[in-house]
Amino acid sequence: MAAQAQRISGLERGQAFSITVNGQTVAAFPGESIATVLAVAGFRAFRATDASDSPRGIFCGMGICFDCLVTVNGLPNQRACMTEARAGCDVRVSETLNVER
Amino acid sequence: MITTEIAVIGAGPAGIAAAVAAAEAGARVLVIDENPRPGGQYYKQPPSSFKANDVASSLSENIQHGRELIAGLNNPKITVCANTLVWNITADGMLDLYAPEGGSRVLAKRVVLASGAYERVVPFDGWTLPGVTTVGAAQLMLKGQGLLVGQKILLCGTGPLLQLAAVQLLDAGAEIAALVELHSRTEFFGGGLKLFGQWGKIGQGMAQRKKLLDAGVPMKYGCVVTRAVGETEITGAVIAKVDGNGRPIAGTEETIAADTICMNYGFVPATELARLAGCEQFFDSHFDAFATKTNDDLETSVSGIFAAGEVRGIGGVEVALLEGKIAGAAAARQLGYAAQSNGHDILKEWQKARAAFDSLSGMFAVKRGVYESIADDVLVCRCDEIRAGEIRGAARAGAQNLNALKAWNRCGMGRCQGRLCGPIAAQIIASETGTSVESVGAFTARIPIKPVPLGVVGASAEPHATGTAMEDHVGYGRVR
Repeated sequence: MAAQAQRISGLERGQAFSITVNGQTVAAFPGESIATVLAVAGFRAFRATDASDSPRGIFCGMGICFDCLVTVNGLPNQRACMTEARAGCDVRVSETLNVER
Repeated sequence: MITTEIAVIGAGPAGIAAAVAAAEAGARVLVIDENPRPGGQYYKQPPSSFKANDVASSLSENIQHGRELIAGLNNPKITVCANTLVWNITADGMLDLYAPEGGSRVLAKRVVLASGAYERVVPFDGWTLPGVTTVGAAQLMLKGQGLLVGQKILLCGTGPLLQLAAVQLLDAGAEIAALVELHSRTEFFGGGLKLFGQWGKIGQGMAQRKKLLDAGVPMKYGCVVTRAVGETEITGAVIAKVDGNGRPIAGTEETIAADTICMNYGFVPATELARLAGCEQFFDSHFDAFATKTNDDLETSVSGIFAAGEVRGIGGVEVALLEGKIAGAAAARQLGYAAQSNGHDILKEWQKARAAFDSLSGMFAVKRGVYESIADDVLVCRCDEIRAGEIRGAARAGAQNLNALKAWNRCGMGRCQGRLCGPIAAQIIASETGTSVESVGAFTARIPIKPVPLGVVGASAEPHATGTAMEDHVGYGRVR
């Protein structure tokens, strides 16, 4: 399924680089948050809740809800909306979610 | 330990205005913000590496105004500390910080709290599904990241932000599935009369509405979203007409196709740090939320700690800028600097701006029936997955305030620490027990005010100053 989220046109974003998401290579631009990169790559659900395994993704977009948590370079529970993507970083979204495109 | 004369917490409009006013008077200022770039949410800036070739004016004007304001931070007296969370504050001006590089401690002679606000949300069935976000999230992703969160977006809630965000999203290339406004057409436009004399605001609102109508956006007044449609992916929303008290009317349901639902029912002041420092709060009936009490110098009940902007009551950007100026100058004066006095003119201007904004509040108040209609099986607490019915049950059984509720069923104890569920749970308890939202109170603020690694909290006993490197500002030169 195609991603719902898209980068808008009319912006030059600089030199693209790669990160990996669950081992899959995904393009990113300097200054983009991991939430942005995941959304454009078609990931909407980033994690499953502890209590009911329910999917969660971007909600508040400003670092207060802690719903968009992902694992970055082995560090768990990082807010995707507040964490900048860096070249080569290894992002893990919940494997229990059937979100891979 | 880092020392500074004035610490400003929050680099949004109020914080920037405070820092500039204090620095111009001669004080040394440290501005601390959790985001990578100054501007706050209102003036959210894209990364400096983004170059706009052809971006709609509904976006670029806001970004440009923000840039002009932020340029004021280019002052040798001001140090900006980005990507840094203040997770603890004491009444004597000690701040504990956390940045990805580690923790550090600051001792400030004066503090200006400019911590801003959060969005008010009202749960509906399916609101935790990925693809349901706040309106602010959609707007921030657009302004700060050049990202459209969806292609066919339905906006719901109440207030002028819905129209503005809808226009920005439309201009950026999204289809707007509908704009679902709680208030009826009569209430919406009747309320506009309260804005008599504020022709600029009325004109903007009318122009936005015309643009949406011209684009064929369905404008659903007097309606709410009752359910997100979709099992794992959002495919639409069920909306319903509401009665005068905000309760959905059976038989009026309609399904609208959308891939994204964005919600905003107004704003709630972000008062955790103020409460943690012991600053007295008051219940702002204009906006149905607690806010921080100050005197006319914007000093809180804790001497040496000032508050400016949304933290002392929702007031919008014009109020925030004026309050920042007043608080920054007053803090500098206390340190012996000859800051421009907060004379009659600025106070008058401030009071006028406040009054104008307060007049909006009645217009877009969230009616009690909206909260009373949250079905028992709908999640209220997203973190610990506690449902409206469980909160109602706890309230009936004796949990008559938020702290009692937290002890009862953990509502407010999760990672968001009650920022989202607190205002909702307070309304539910008030309805269930027949009391006022004010008497239900707020959750007690606890350290750390946001989750930080345990080692950081432990290490704060023996603080070590770490660099909280500040880079990557907008394209008008570096802010140090």
